[in-house]
Amino acid sequence: MIPSSFDYAAPETISEALKLLAANPDSKVLAGGQSLIPLLKLRLAAPGQLIDLGRVPDLHFIAETGQVIRIGAMTTHYQIETSELLREKCPLLAKTAANIGDVQVRNRGTIGGSVAHADPAADYPAALLALGAKVKIVGAKGERELGIEDFLVEALTTALEPGEIISEIQVPVEDKSVGTAYRTLVQPASGFAIVGVGVRLAAKGGKITLARIGVTGVASKPFRASKAESALEGKAPTAENFAAAAALAADGVDALSDLHASAEYRSHLAVVETRRALAEAAQGLA
Amino acid sequence: MKIQGQQTLPASRDRVWKALLDPEVLGRTLPGCDGLEAAGPDEYKMHMKLAIASVQGVFDGRVKIEDQNPPESYKLSVEGRGKVGFVKGGGAFRLEPAGDSETLVHYEGDVSVGGLIAGVGQRLLDMTSKMMIKRFFSAFSSELEKSA
Repeated sequence: MIPSSFDYAAPETISEALKLLAANPDSKVLAGGQSLIPLLKLRLAAPGQLIDLGRVPDLHFIAETGQVIRIGAMTTHYQIETSELLREKCPLLAKTAANIGDVQVRNRGTIGGSVAHADPAADYPAALLALGAKVKIVGAKGERELGIEDFLVEALTTALEPGEIISEIQVPVEDKSVGTAYRTLVQPASGFAIVGVGVRLAAKGGKITLARIGVTGVASKPFRASKAESALEGKAPTAENFAAAAALAADGVDALSDLHASAEYRSHLAVVETRRALAEAAQGLA
Repeated sequence: MKIQGQQTLPASRDRVWKALLDPEVLGRTLPGCDGLEAAGPDEYKMHMKLAIASVQGVFDGRVKIEDQNPPESYKLSVEGRGKVGFVKGGGAFRLEPAGDSETLVHYEGDVSVGGLIAGVGQRLLDMTSKMMIKRFFSAFSSELEKSA
């Protein structure tokens, strides 16, 4: 199908993009276009202007600064998946990126676009929640940083204000002793996660010292499985303890129900995939 | 699509009943709604503008309140139509007092969604409806607290 007509602008700097955005409130920012372009083609979205960030070099980078790795908003999933720096120092994010959609989507889609779209079945939030990632936002009033938990407000809704753009995502440099895993069960036609679980696990002297579990696809907002996390702290990393903790993964969560998976099935999958992700992460424990 | 749930509201059952059937309150608290206009006994016309992600939908619809049994229960039927699709459905509301200053509202309904939005947005319908209900009750609760 053919989209309704719109103006097209391709700024080369962030400040130019912000000016364009402020000048026309009927604008929509285009990143990789893997969610927006289909909506335009179906005419579900019909913005007056598209501001393409593809030619802004300041949004394309992966850089290590102290204990933080900064990832420019226009970095593609493929670049994250194959980055040597991320594979070595933040493997959970690279593993998660490798699971997104298909080759075409990973080649075009960007981390900034995905996070801004805030699809509740997107893969990144599971990893970003487990990592305690931060989102850096730029706007006319300056810059601000938000933790991913505060950035994601609801399904398809974020804390981005009109006129603001995500400039980068920040993740911590992972300690070598931490084991990580991302497991997902996807809906084959769309590639979206019915359930996706990101896990970070560390242990010392046979006891778990760190357990972070991010879950996506299950509820209208991706969440940390905090009950399962606290059930693991101080325990031995054994299959029995993993199963007992994983049983709490979707406890008290209002699970989604659709054509592909009922709420009950989704909650069950969250338990199963959390258990498997914990076991997989435990193999990487140093 | 079946919708079912319950919500505790910070006011007595009589006050919640009055507010739930007050077109002015509903006009202010329904997400994206810019007011209800009387179209007959217990029937109202409404205009809603909803923006979710990059999708913007404008809906024109009607709400009808039926089977009133004050202050315990009533039924609501809704239909709306816009460029991106249509919504049609009904629900039953039951109000149960929870102490002197709180009321538990049980709701149960069946909504069908059709047109373009249902064809391509199947995956997002359940979460969107949950989000709308949450937004409505949160606006409605603050309305009750304001007028307390």
